[in-house]
Amino acid sequence: MDRTITCEVRGGIAFLTFDRPGSAANIFDQATFEQLNSLLDQVENDSSVRGLVIASAKPKIFIAGADLSGFSKDPSPENLSKIVDQGQRIFDRIANLKFPTVAAIHGVALGGGFEIALACDYRIASVDSATKVGLPETTLGIIPAWGGCTRLPRLVGLPTALEVILSGKQYPTRQAQKLGLVDDSTYRERLEGLATKKIVDSHGRKRVTKTHFSNISPLATVIADRAKKKTIEKTRGHYPAPLKALEVVVNGLKSPTAVSLENEKKAIIDLTNGEVAQNLIRVFFLQERAKKLTVGDLKPEVKPKRVLVVGAGLMGSGIAQWLSARGLNVVLKDIGPEPLGKGLQAIDRVYRDAVKRKILTEVDARAGFDRILPIYDDVPLTNVDLAIEAAVEKLDLKKQLFSQLEPKIPNTLLIASNTSGLSIDAIADGLAHPEKVVGVHFFNPVHRMQLVEIVRGSRTSETVLAMAVQFVKSIGKLPVLVKDSPGFLVNRILLPYLVEAIRIFSEGHSVESIDRAILDFGMPMGPLRLNDEVGLDVSQHVGSDLAARVPHLPPLNNILPRMVEKGWLGKKSGAGFYVYRDQSESPNPELKQFQPSIEPTNADQLTDRLIFTMVNEAARVLEEKVVTEPADVDFGMIMGTGWAPFRGGPLKYADSVGISTVVSRLNHLAGKFGEHFKPCTLLNEMVNRGGKFFDAKR
Amino acid sequence: MKEKIYIVDGVRTPFAKSGTILADTTAMDLGKTAVSMLLAKTGLAPEKIEEVILGCVGQPAEAPNIARVIALRAGIPESVPAVTVHRNCASGFEAVTQAAEKMIAGRGEVFLVGGVESMSQLPLLYSYETAKKFGAFVRAKNVAHKFQAASQFRLSDLKPEIALQLGLSDPVCGLSMGETAENVSRDFNISREEQDSFAMRSHQRAIAARPNLDAEITPVYLPRSKNGKPYLKQDNGPRENQTMEALAKLRPVFEPNTGTVTAGNSSQITDGAVALLLMTEKGLKESGLTPLGRLLGYDYVGLDPARMGLGPIHAIHRVEQRVGLSLKDASIIEINEAFAAQVLACQKAAVSLEYCKKNLGRDSALGEIPDEILNVNGGAIALGHPVGVTGSRLVLTALKELHRRQADKALVTLCVGGGQGGALWLTRN
Repeated sequence: MDRTITCEVRGGIAFLTFDRPGSAANIFDQATFEQLNSLLDQVENDSSVRGLVIASAKPKIFIAGADLSGFSKDPSPENLSKIVDQGQRIFDRIANLKFPTVAAIHGVALGGGFEIALACDYRIASVDSATKVGLPETTLGIIPAWGGCTRLPRLVGLPTALEVILSGKQYPTRQAQKLGLVDDSTYRERLEGLATKKIVDSHGRKRVTKTHFSNISPLATVIADRAKKKTIEKTRGHYPAPLKALEVVVNGLKSPTAVSLENEKKAIIDLTNGEVAQNLIRVFFLQERAKKLTVGDLKPEVKPKRVLVVGAGLMGSGIAQWLSARGLNVVLKDIGPEPLGKGLQAIDRVYRDAVKRKILTEVDARAGFDRILPIYDDVPLTNVDLAIEAAVEKLDLKKQLFSQLEPKIPNTLLIASNTSGLSIDAIADGLAHPEKVVGVHFFNPVHRMQLVEIVRGSRTSETVLAMAVQFVKSIGKLPVLVKDSPGFLVNRILLPYLVEAIRIFSEGHSVESIDRAILDFGMPMGPLRLNDEVGLDVSQHVGSDLAARVPHLPPLNNILPRMVEKGWLGKKSGAGFYVYRDQSESPNPELKQFQPSIEPTNADQLTDRLIFTMVNEAARVLEEKVVTEPADVDFGMIMGTGWAPFRGGPLKYADSVGISTVVSRLNHLAGKFGEHFKPCTLLNEMVNRGGKFFDAKR
Repeated sequence: MKEKIYIVDGVRTPFAKSGTILADTTAMDLGKTAVSMLLAKTGLAPEKIEEVILGCVGQPAEAPNIARVIALRAGIPESVPAVTVHRNCASGFEAVTQAAEKMIAGRGEVFLVGGVESMSQLPLLYSYETAKKFGAFVRAKNVAHKFQAASQFRLSDLKPEIALQLGLSDPVCGLSMGETAENVSRDFNISREEQDSFAMRSHQRAIAARPNLDAEITPVYLPRSKNGKPYLKQDNGPRENQTMEALAKLRPVFEPNTGTVTAGNSSQITDGAVALLLMTEKGLKESGLTPLGRLLGYDYVGLDPARMGLGPIHAIHRVEQRVGLSLKDASIIEINEAFAAQVLACQKAAVSLEYCKKNLGRDSALGEIPDEILNVNGGAIALGHPVGVTGSRLVLTALKELHRRQADKALVTLCVGGGQGGALWLTRN
């Protein structure tokens, strides 16, 4: 087998360089650990060695962490125990080497990749945008168990350690250095020189870290209590990993290393066997799967020089911002300076926010903004090689726009529509090149939502579809392929739920109780608040459009039209189901006029009505082959709407509740609240044959 | 000229009075807006550009060679060089004529030129004497020395020098630009009322010309404007409600008791930018674009700095000698309205045999500059005078006007602080 790690001794310093053959990433799997172990033997037995440097030869990755497939394929305590022990033992060995050690980090050092660095005396990092360090384990439902929970608090103190471990954030070099996660930084080319200097300057002595004041009780207890309270508030009790990590970290402060490592092990075995971790790890793999999505074997290189974005509204400006931040030149077209000016204001806000959060430098943000050229005149567009339409969701308007646009952009690879639910076939009708038309549907807010639905019209060419997929991946978004059907995947499932929420409201339930039920379920936002976010006019429009094209939808009522009439358009107008005033929101007090005065007593069924509406529609989407696999449905809902990730998505959730339970609950709801709850054919069939959406193994 | 120099196209930002709606927009942003829009409008591949030449008088300290900063920010490739030029009020001419000279010398076929100025953002400065005291304070090694150095500061050190004011004064003759305008108003006996009516007319013409001017303006977007429109598309200098009474109420600025030059009959201090695309015949053919017009000839000339306002007369004479075109050949004439007094003085000097004989060595007067064809779309009194920009703006506005009138030739001139004049002849054909 090819070697992953090479060892060179130069001037009395051993350089262990990770370079996994045939891969862009270094990871820790069993073979790598075995190699590392035998190299450590070699280094320890070489009397000329007075220092050790751990480095990576990859351009973007130091070490990406553990091989997660080991955690999901066989989560048995025996197997996990083996994996954890191996890592702990070897990192401990590194920590106990008699000579000084340095991790020279270039590229991402995450999870195990950062834990090996924590086992070294010094950590230095390259000042490169690729370099990031962090411990993302809790976001996967597990905890750092190769010494991360034990060593980090000793190195940087409890408050910083908790911030790093509980948030799972990835820190760029400058921030990492400020937090003490790395000691020093330099250019990539000079990392080796700096590492050598660290070893030479330490004169053969190991580094001694003083105990942080904040690690000593009672201060530590106060800090831990506060962190615990905050975590419970944030996770609503759905995510056990952060609390477990907190416990292990705090206990570790007063225990010897060996005991703390043992605690780490116990905790990770417990967590990994839970449903939450398995679901979160699955979400991770679904993301990886999307990154590798191709159309057949087609992998056309799509590197547009100039992208035309038509429409500077919410979506158009969001798309323009995202593309420009990824280094693409954008021509942003609208009908006049007013909408363009507003769009640019929105774009500027996103950029400023990114600077404030240190995601971008001032210089990068300005350069990104400069790449956007706002136009409303009829200027030559022959140099456009990719076009995305994000105009108003009206079919006539879109058709007219496409037919006017088509002859002006003869050199475009494809013409994408960002429609959230209109038919791609209808949009492409009458064009000279309908094969160039494809749906590329981003989600709002574009800079936050990773999902993009790629809609294949019946005439969309294979190459164009493949180009759309490659393009979406190249801009750092995650594609899912969907059929050209009303609402596609995400909005199709979401809309009945939004409509049902308004129905529930009209029966007399309060805005808070409806939204709270769903927040408690684990969604990032309640359905009425989401209606406000989408815009009530948009919601009404999409609702009636979908209702005309999709059977089984919950019947619409007149609440939305009446609200829109009053000028309550949701967040953008300052009022909707909530009233928005300087950063804060509260339920709209004037809404009572739309409701019966008595609140009904069936509050316990709110969650069922809302969630099972989605589950039913999710099954129907699969039944109609809008997507090809159940995993696509769950992936789309989690990445496109933030659907409670720890529950694994609507279909995984159906599996865990049990399909027969889902069906009987739906039948019960249908009897009480209306025919639209009737379970779909697929669900009924599954009950008959005793099937599940996913094999138990996956 | 040895080469046909085409002005292919141009755009400008709206002009806004300094301290108003464009005050927070940097000169770089203004320039970037005009340059990138010109590229978009023409569809020219930016790598075809030989060099970017922009006029700017008050270059921001943070953007030395502002032309280069603007070129890069507008997406012009790194390999295309850029230079900022400064001939005071004629900097916008200088950008055009420098490109012309390079083309005539065979040094390229396509040039992007123009001017940029944010007079709002001109800084306040510390005097050299004050700066020296700061230096001594920083260098002082111990507390006693620091104290000693600090004790040297006087209250007067805190008073900043205003870069704008310094720029509008001539260090050679020791006069401010307004004082030179008072000089020519006395020489030619131009009354306050004449000057005010001229100013009045400038506003009226600029207001009437709004639809015309609109065609050359690209909006400046205001992504950080807190309230109000998120863009500016129209010059905000011209006043619809301007009256003679209001003008008459203003106090003379430079000669309190007997003076005639007021804020109302002087050019406005303004922010803005212009970009023009210049090509040789070869460059034009390759681009496939239709030009606005052509540069027929140009010249600059020096004269008494204390009477710089008469610069256009001297320049018109010089260029007549060089290319044989005289006032009667012009379908329209632009004389930049630095001051009403100075434009009126030019009109009088042009028909004065005595002046032309004595100062230009001619045996006939230059000829008449008729009101009907002079500054037909208003001038800097209404539109404003962003110093480094005006020259290019006049070229653009005049060429567009030739098209509207289906006329042939335009004479475009301006006076230059420090005692110079510049004149350009343009043709539509």
